[in-house]
Amino acid sequence: MAAVATCGGDAGSAGSAVATGSKSNVTSFQRRGPRASGTNDSGPRLVSITGTRPSVRNGQLLVSTGLPALDQLLGGGLAVGTVLLIEEDKYNIYSSLLFKYFLAEGIVNGHTLLVASANEDPANILQELPAPLLDDNCKKEFDEDVYNHKTPESNIKMKIAWRYQLLPKMEIGPVSSSRFGHYYDASKRIPQELIEASKWHGFFLPEKISSTLKVEPCSLTHGYIKLLQFIQNIIYEEGFDGSNPQKKQKNILRIGIQNLGSPLWGDDICCTENGDSSHSLTKFLYVLRGLLRTSLSVCIITMPTHLIQNKAVIAHITNLSDIVVGLESFIGSERETNPLYKDYHGLIHIRQIPRLNNLVCDESDVKDLGFKLKRKLFTIERLHLPPDLSDTVSRSSKQDLAESAKRLGPGCGMMAGGKKHLDF
Amino acid sequence: MLDSLLALGGLVLLRDSVEWEGRSLLKALVKKSALCGEQVHILGCEVSEEEFREGFDSDINNRLVYHDFFRDPLNWSKTGEALPGGPLGALRAMCNRTDLGPVTIALDSLSWLLLHLPCTTLCQTLHTVSHQDSCPPGDGSPVGKVHVLGLLHEELHGPGPMGALSSLAQTEVTLGGIMGQASARILCRRPRQRPTDQTQWFSILPDFSLDLQEGPSIESQPHSDPHIPPVDPTAHLTFNLHLSKKEREARDNLTLPFQFSSEKQEALLRPRPSQATSHIFYEPDAYDDLDQEDPDDDLDI
Repeated sequence: MAAVATCGGDAGSAGSAVATGSKSNVTSFQRRGPRASGTNDSGPRLVSITGTRPSVRNGQLLVSTGLPALDQLLGGGLAVGTVLLIEEDKYNIYSSLLFKYFLAEGIVNGHTLLVASANEDPANILQELPAPLLDDNCKKEFDEDVYNHKTPESNIKMKIAWRYQLLPKMEIGPVSSSRFGHYYDASKRIPQELIEASKWHGFFLPEKISSTLKVEPCSLTHGYIKLLQFIQNIIYEEGFDGSNPQKKQKNILRIGIQNLGSPLWGDDICCTENGDSSHSLTKFLYVLRGLLRTSLSVCIITMPTHLIQNKAVIAHITNLSDIVVGLESFIGSERETNPLYKDYHGLIHIRQIPRLNNLVCDESDVKDLGFKLKRKLFTIERLHLPPDLSDTVSRSSKQDLAESAKRLGPGCGMMAGGKKHLDF
Repeated sequence: MLDSLLALGGLVLLRDSVEWEGRSLLKALVKKSALCGEQVHILGCEVSEEEFREGFDSDINNRLVYHDFFRDPLNWSKTGEALPGGPLGALRAMCNRTDLGPVTIALDSLSWLLLHLPCTTLCQTLHTVSHQDSCPPGDGSPVGKVHVLGLLHEELHGPGPMGALSSLAQTEVTLGGIMGQASARILCRRPRQRPTDQTQWFSILPDFSLDLQEGPSIESQPHSDPHIPPVDPTAHLTFNLHLSKKEREARDNLTLPFQFSSEKQEALLRPRPSQATSHIFYEPDAYDDLDQEDPDDDLDI
């Protein structure tokens, strides 16, 4: 990563390094003076690309994932040049929603999109993106929505803590389009003119390869090779890696790959434990990350990891991606009827956060997160588990607490079995 | 619900096991589609054509287009009757069909295909076949729905191929039952909607028509545990957690120790233009001692 100087390197010099490729990028101290490239008003010379902002911690250029709640958990946003891997939930409902939020954010910010899928035509995916909540009419509806959920006691004027009446309420709401993250209405479709005004490239696997083609066996599955070549072409032709000096405004390429690793991509990683193409997916991720690091692009990948048979491969995939978020929905599982989880639709597990130019990563201290899809919003909240009052209370993690709360006091006999640690 | 299985289109998996066989249900669904006037193609790999056609009356038999891969799957006899490419070739040929009416393709069985073909190729072909109606042809004419019914013996396969096929299928019917009464658990995955899960009791009549039934009688079901009512933690306490109406009124009328008069409160709440000096508003309290003497004076320090 240190050798690749263009993106994610020195603080804020990502875009400028691309623009002035001949200058050495050893130091980030730059003389203040009249510069050819468009400069911002203050501080380091950041090329201002719409929809991006520098991280407050290490100056990385960040883009929004489309969900401000998720941005906060990831330390402000998704760093340009990284891969966000979403482990799909069992029926692929919420992961496809996150995928669409990411793409819709790209359209609203004017980024270029690259959508790759093996089961759905990218044009159809773009038609189903959620509509952004941009103007004040929506803000009124949003406030009304929040108001309906408030408890009646909060309407009473505060008698003891009356000084807090003046404080602004800590509620999140829709913001104007110049801000970093946007809110989307999952029940409405994005207006057609926004899609037409945006620039996008689609990769639909059944169109790109013909099934009767006899391909010699190689280490990468044929579909993956095609996809990598496609991505490389787009990056090169449109100048995201600085090869063609861009005269117009710099832009970010948002790549979305749906259901990577499913059998429809020609990969048998979900079907067998030790197949022929067992290293195909890991090699693909490695090459993809190399492509992303040398260009102004971000990638989101949804992967059905619950179908992958070889658990070691999942560990490899986690290491090869930068940010890994796992979604677990309660549909069809016994947790759906569990009263502990009645307010939520599922759990979010942040499995990995990258350490980009840092020794430590931006881990939040909240590990139990649940999500719910309200009428218009996708919210992620901290899960509050009640104290465990049963006989099988142990000092292990909250996961065990939740499970033991379900079993109503079976007694000491249960300690021997299951996932309990030995308690002395 | 079972009779509207075919309304959705796409891939329908019939998962059966040794105790509850699914071929009769497959034949019942095939008969239903044939009676609706759809084109029916059968890929017969596991049982012979005579055995499959047995039980159907002649007009249904005339409507079925049977591709026989049981007698000579590898085309060793080279008579030229067998279709080129084996079952995969036949499936692919169905991908590029020219007639546009609704069609039902019954795979008997999908397990056989899974054991003889690589799983990824089979998944890709099934996906293309079952999604033909979503990709309209160039001339824009509406394409009829394609139903693919696959009979899958779930005991023959590991979790990998089963999971892969389940994620591909629009509807999954798992056969089971209690004491001679067959049931079908139908899991319907509509795209972008919550999957629905229903159980339907049924039986198949000798002429392969479907008879939907209510569940078995209640006494035969094992007793589930009586529902434990949630325990109210505020009951049976030694102290009182609830307030009666009179107590609530008395609490409201109590003056708080540091309560200002309402004018002072409003003055404080109004945002002040300058915050340079901070003011201390003091209103003497009822219990306050106004004696200016230092109360510590009588201490001998």
